[in-house]
Amino acid sequence: MPPTPDDPLQSPQQSTFDPNIQNPRIRPRPGPVNSPLASVATLPYRRSNASLSDLFSSTTSLSAQASDSGSATPTKNVVTEPVFSPAGSATIKSPSSSVSGAPFAASSSFSEVRDLILRAFAPHVSVIASPDTEELVRHKGVNGGLLELLRPFGEHVQGKVTIRDSVGVGRSWDNYGVRFIGPKDGLESPRPNERPSTSSSVREDENIATLTEYKPARLRSGGDVPQIEELVERHLTFAEEQSGPLEAADYINHKDVPGINPHSPSPFYMHYLRRLLSGMPMVPSETISHPVASIIAISSRSQSPIEELRNLFASSNGGEHRLPQWVHNEFLRYYVLIHDEDYDDITKSMTLFDQMKRHFGLHCHLLRLRSTQCVSSDDGSIKLPRCEWYSAAEELSEITNREVNEDEDPTPYIYESDATAIRALVREMVTQSIIPSMERASATWNDQIASRRRGLSGRFMSLSKRFTAFGGRNSSVPALTGGSSNYDSLQGFYRPDAPEALMRKLVDFAMMLRDFKLAQNTCDILCQDFKTDKAWRYYAAANEVQALSTLLVSNNISNKSRAETIDQALDAAYYSYITRVGAPYCALRTLVLGIELLMSHGGSALDDAARWCTRILDDRLVGPVGHVLIMERIAACCRDRARGDRARKAAFWNFLAADAWLGMDKASQAEKCLIEATRLYDLISLDHSQPHSNGHDEDAQFSSHKINAGENGGLRFDSMTRYLTSLKHGIIANRSGPHHLDGADLLAAGDGTTDELTPVLEPLQLEADQLSAAVRSPIGKAHAHRKSLSTANAPVLHSLNHPPMMQALDPLGVSALPTLSSSDSTASGLSPVTERREIRDDGFE
Amino acid sequence: MSYYFTIIGTRDNPLFEIDFGTHKLGGDGVARFRDEAKHMNQFIVHAALDMVEEAQWMGKDLYLRRVDTFQNNHVHCFLTGGNVKFMLLMNPDPTASSYASYRSPPPSRPSTARQSASMLAANPSSQATEDAVRQFMLEVYEAWLKCIMNPFYQVNNVVTSPIFRGRVATAAKKYL
Repeated sequence: MPPTPDDPLQSPQQSTFDPNIQNPRIRPRPGPVNSPLASVATLPYRRSNASLSDLFSSTTSLSAQASDSGSATPTKNVVTEPVFSPAGSATIKSPSSSVSGAPFAASSSFSEVRDLILRAFAPHVSVIASPDTEELVRHKGVNGGLLELLRPFGEHVQGKVTIRDSVGVGRSWDNYGVRFIGPKDGLESPRPNERPSTSSSVREDENIATLTEYKPARLRSGGDVPQIEELVERHLTFAEEQSGPLEAADYINHKDVPGINPHSPSPFYMHYLRRLLSGMPMVPSETISHPVASIIAISSRSQSPIEELRNLFASSNGGEHRLPQWVHNEFLRYYVLIHDEDYDDITKSMTLFDQMKRHFGLHCHLLRLRSTQCVSSDDGSIKLPRCEWYSAAEELSEITNREVNEDEDPTPYIYESDATAIRALVREMVTQSIIPSMERASATWNDQIASRRRGLSGRFMSLSKRFTAFGGRNSSVPALTGGSSNYDSLQGFYRPDAPEALMRKLVDFAMMLRDFKLAQNTCDILCQDFKTDKAWRYYAAANEVQALSTLLVSNNISNKSRAETIDQALDAAYYSYITRVGAPYCALRTLVLGIELLMSHGGSALDDAARWCTRILDDRLVGPVGHVLIMERIAACCRDRARGDRARKAAFWNFLAADAWLGMDKASQAEKCLIEATRLYDLISLDHSQPHSNGHDEDAQFSSHKINAGENGGLRFDSMTRYLTSLKHGIIANRSGPHHLDGADLLAAGDGTTDELTPVLEPLQLEADQLSAAVRSPIGKAHAHRKSLSTANAPVLHSLNHPPMMQALDPLGVSALPTLSSSDSTASGLSPVTERREIRDDGFE
Repeated sequence: MSYYFTIIGTRDNPLFEIDFGTHKLGGDGVARFRDEAKHMNQFIVHAALDMVEEAQWMGKDLYLRRVDTFQNNHVHCFLTGGNVKFMLLMNPDPTASSYASYRSPPPSRPSTARQSASMLAANPSSQATEDAVRQFMLEVYEAWLKCIMNPFYQVNNVVTSPIFRGRVATAAKKYL
């Protein structure tokens, strides 16, 4: 898929990472499939790379972040840990951890997604700092300057944030956050443009070296689906490498713990979603990513601070930091004086700060930071927390970066006192400046513009406007100016002070302030206006927000109104984005958000969600990874249908996902899906033997199924059974995917497994049970083995210590004996994946 | 057009399977399913049973029309009195089904997929198709009744009778 066509306003920054990003499909190392030897050679290299694995695990599970930053998101961590644990290597996998997660019900997954979506609509705050401030922060060891220092702290405002809605009712949120962005973030495509240009930030030529590590602004803008794909693919590959057979066994264990929540979306899907929503590009048609406020920072080092402030302010208004003309420029300016605790005089800074307060009023803050570099051994040092809302390009470059410099962990350390000061700054800024000014602005716009348009007279006004526009065109006024319309159809935007643009801004403010009712009401009017003006991009965006706000407003929407409003809005948005505007990223975002919110409504909304998912698949809005993740979502939709009457469909989609995962060498994901599919298929066949139990109590059924699994025939379609079996074998063969077997192990394992020629058409459930039962038993012991031996996994597996496990894992000896497995593949004859693997094994031997 | 017809017993067990191609428009009556379709057809039909169970209470007809669609496979169903389901899967162009795999996207814009979908939808859900399938189903139903009148036949047994197979083939040739 091409990047959105409405991109690049080129920006002047470039970095040395360009070669890595330029061609995201080319990896720094050869992929494991192409060359087994090379991949074996690189394995210890990658596994020993602690900083890299930290990056993967922390982004996927967020556990590292929470433990490092202390107070950042303790509750979130608890919720997500059992869900995410399979993916991250850092989290401890033991039965006890999964037991601790037991009480979480299925509904927590929805609140998790909803929470994510709510937090995606966060106000953006741009950060402009004077050169001496940047220098100070770099001196602290944070290479990205003030922006990178502030960013992680903006994502969670400490404590509750109370927001009053348009009616005046206050509501507190404890998951509020803001996004700190660079002054021109989101304007250009994350792909580097070939045009070489001078870096505007190279003003001090002495620190070229640090600047090379500095991330260029384009990386911070998201909205590039292929990059998200690439990123999630890397996470998956990493998880695959980390998960040997024993982790896979953990999944089976999870299944057996009653109450563990198998219903939450996979961590990779959540990651996909998060990256899809982070770094939304800045476009005229939606103002979510337009800055709501701007931090203007100077430091106590400055000789003429007031002069400096004036310059920065001027640059944000007309100079180099001026945003394009379609951005409403009258946003809040917040002035921050950074005091250098280590070298400068606090009394001098206080006088300066008093002076600032007199000049600028309330929107000032004195931030006291230490300027010496902090190392991990210092007292009270913490790692700079990891950003959760990185854009995909940024995280990719980070991964590449860490793969190149394997040993050092580039995450800087800062003092705890600094962290506390920054948190206080963020909280004060958000609660005392940003939120009140947003409330005020939206109240003003609501009163002066939007409310005039509501009601009968408002309708009439729009009608008369349309009428005069029509009359104007008939007269001598050229049609190009569009009569009295405010839409500039040539350049494709409304002037930022036009009523439509202000109303659009009102909508986005309402979304950010989580006043969805207001957003919904205003969108109604806007959709009409945009349609009349044929401002299709605006029209699509307004419809998108309308659907989302309607879904967010209430929890029970009747089927009829859902079909009338939401379906229609989603359809209009989707159609306009795809055919009229050509913005597949926006279309995908619309649908994915719509789907997730529909799913949280449950009931027959799930059918709609599944239908929209199918639409995504049919129209190929996503790449291969997203394709499978969406299939998993469809399976979830079907499974969650109230009475469990879609079990067959859920099983079917799970099976499809398993098949696709296996085709992508993601055996542990495939296994997870296949286990779920098998479980559902067994449930169905059980249902038929006991017609009156209706699948209400799945756990009870599941356990009872385990007892009479043997006598129950299960699936009666022979090809289906056969294919599922071969899929299972494919997974078993690939399970140790990236962990390659040594020749010696093959020989050693050979005599252990030759005699295990169980019939090919073994009943499905029998095998599944045998598998889970056998794998469960030796887990504790073998798990320890696996942790200590990095590449020598296979010996653990194949040594004669665990013959029963081996037998169950590999009844046909597919993974151990290439000669045997070839005969197997002719017997089952169905799985292309098994065959492909054999070739690899052969080559290796 | 390729068809896959199966009769499913009360316990989701297949009693009879046949696949055939169209005889209309100069077709030779040979199914052009890909290798994958051998099991995928079964999966699709099996998944469609969920929709059948939902649709069977909606109307009074035993012929339930099109109950499910997966990619370009369309499933029609006929329900007999004994809760035996006749499932007919039709696929206008089996080579175009990607099933689980993600094939590299066609060079055209994504919207064309929808256009072609609407073009195909004009075929399987059109009145002519529904009528043809209904007549086919009715004819198979008669053959089925006569077949299970056999005193040696027991409920949910697989039907192996070559005569029945021949009658289904004839009906297919006549109507599809």
